Amino acid sequence: MADFWNKLTIRQKLAITAWLFLAVPLVFYITIRFYPTFEAFYVSTLKWNLLGAKKAIGMKNYIKIFADEDFWLVLWNTIKYALVGVPVSMLIAFIIAYWLNEIDFGHDFIRAMYFIPFLTTAVAMAWVWRWFYQPLPIGYFNIMLSWVGIPQQPFLKSVTQGLYSIMAPAVWAGLGFQIVIFIAGIRAVPRSYFEAAEIDGAGRWQILREITLPALKPTIIFLTVVSTIGFLRIFDQVYTMSADSAGGPLNSTKPLVLMIYEFAFDEFKLGRASALTVILFLILLVVSLVQLWLMRKQK
Amino acid sequence: MAEVSLQGVHKLFGSVTAVEDFNLSIGSSEFVVFVGPSGCGKSTTLRMLAGLEDVSSGVISIDGKPVNNVHPKDRDIAMVFQNYALYPHLNVFDNISFGLRAKRLPKDEITTRTNEAADILGLDELLKRRPGELSGGQKQRVAMGRAIVRKPKVFLFDEPLSNLDAKLRHKMRAEMKLLHQRVQTTTVYVTHDQVEAMTLADRIVIMNLGRIEQVGTPDEVYKHPASQFVASFIGSPAMNFATGTITGTGSKAALKTDSGEGISLAGCDIAEGRRIQLGFRPEHMMLAKAAKPASGHISIGAHITVIEPMGHETVLTCDAGFGEIVGKYEGEDRFTPGDAANFHIRADRLHYFDLDTGLRI
Repeated sequence: MADFWNKLTIRQKLAITAWLFLAVPLVFYITIRFYPTFEAFYVSTLKWNLLGAKKAIGMKNYIKIFADEDFWLVLWNTIKYALVGVPVSMLIAFIIAYWLNEIDFGHDFIRAMYFIPFLTTAVAMAWVWRWFYQPLPIGYFNIMLSWVGIPQQPFLKSVTQGLYSIMAPAVWAGLGFQIVIFIAGIRAVPRSYFEAAEIDGAGRWQILREITLPALKPTIIFLTVVSTIGFLRIFDQVYTMSADSAGGPLNSTKPLVLMIYEFAFDEFKLGRASALTVILFLILLVVSLVQLWLMRKQK
Repeated sequence: MAEVSLQGVHKLFGSVTAVEDFNLSIGSSEFVVFVGPSGCGKSTTLRMLAGLEDVSSGVISIDGKPVNNVHPKDRDIAMVFQNYALYPHLNVFDNISFGLRAKRLPKDEITTRTNEAADILGLDELLKRRPGELSGGQKQRVAMGRAIVRKPKVFLFDEPLSNLDAKLRHKMRAEMKLLHQRVQTTTVYVTHDQVEAMTLADRIVIMNLGRIEQVGTPDEVYKHPASQFVASFIGSPAMNFATGTITGTGSKAALKTDSGEGISLAGCDIAEGRRIQLGFRPEHMMLAKAAKPASGHISIGAHITVIEPMGHETVLTCDAGFGEIVGKYEGEDRFTPGDAANFHIRADRLHYFDLDTGLRI
């Protein structure tokens, strides 16, 4: 054994050592993460109630899903969470990061304040927000509206407002992370760029448009993808906050993950749930690939 | 073209004094170089002039107008940074024209002026390229282009050549001098390289520990350094020093070094007993066969420790007892380490500095 080891080059020894350390997490990921992922592809072609016999039914699960009106509503809901949530949260996060970067006094404290929601349990937060949305005399939002004479809003109980009311705490929870990344991005731009631009007479707007934003392009792409994936996987807030039944009222707030959950653990249609999972997986894969492609173009 | 003046300028960072009582008037179209070791306050002074740092006290004026509270963009200055600060996502044309676009000049004027600047700097072929596709020297030229295109009152350069290799630095130094002769814009240039300072400057400002040590033409600071610091900073290889006490007067005057050697300084009129540093430059030390010098010369004996042939000359590092001294010669003589060498130096090329104050005597 020692003989074998001594014959190896330094490079080979290093590789063996590295792989030994990687072995444990690798085994973990393969058994706990990758295996079930591929298993889902298989299960998606079955009719199975978790306990009974498995019956191969080919693509029938997919056909049923695409024929289901609810699926298209839920898919559209999911896309709405991402389509509205991502730009809104990024814009707010950028504005906060941009100005937070300009101050020194209290900078760390304020940044920590913004970051705390990111560390808080989504369910606990959602419960508090749900309380904010209650009608008078409990809900803070309706209390504030009453101060300025605006009529009471149904918020979570409305098919038009429900989705956005649930999106709000999700945006709020993610802000801290986005702000921290944005500030890091801004601070990574060499100071002399800004100083040179200032001396050259550029205004705040020209500096923002021609220097800051282009320099932040990798940061923006990264955050867009991470946030998009986050919003496409939204679940906790909806499950906790939605009125009537989960995803209600009338499925107007239901996202894909919640639908998967219901198929799997309420109706025990494991095949159908797996098929939906595969669809979500493909959507997330496309988003990630687009990111990789955008990043490569950058270089 | 404008005059620049700094009067009683101080800069404090918290309780640390970065610049202390800085007084200087810079004439129209003058090329002034601030030089000194890192941390001497030269860059801070330049940045105060640019408006990138606040002035703690004192007055900075450009063209007679105090600018302490004037925003950088309203000072009509242009600055070239050590890292060039070229915007990586803009091409050369857009980088050069950035300041003109900021001023919202008409499009055709921007094009004309940018092309003109590119022409002066030989960048015509590169206008469509991005900074990432340029060599160090080309980047440097683009940075200069961005400065000259605006036709500012004052150019500020912050160590612009220190990221270039030695050969290119030499070339760009010459180009910079040519450019200044052509545009005649008042220029303040910061460097830690005394060769750059000597070759470029109309006047050199030598700084140390936040204070001005001396202001003068390259010739003045070389021939009449105001302090031991200036003497040691200007010149390469650096000036040699012997520390000791003056003994005797008139023709018997001598320096008794702290390690015990006697160096005859006939005719030196410094008071007996005064503690001084005697300075002499390597290029003024002449190798001599005889220990006894001709009249009007002094002699220093030493043992050679290191020999560095440079081709056109040979640098000798020697042990002179009182310390290490460096001399050089152009002759054909061959030495080996350990050989004894005698150097003769003309008395009028000696420099005397007070040991306590460091000031020239």
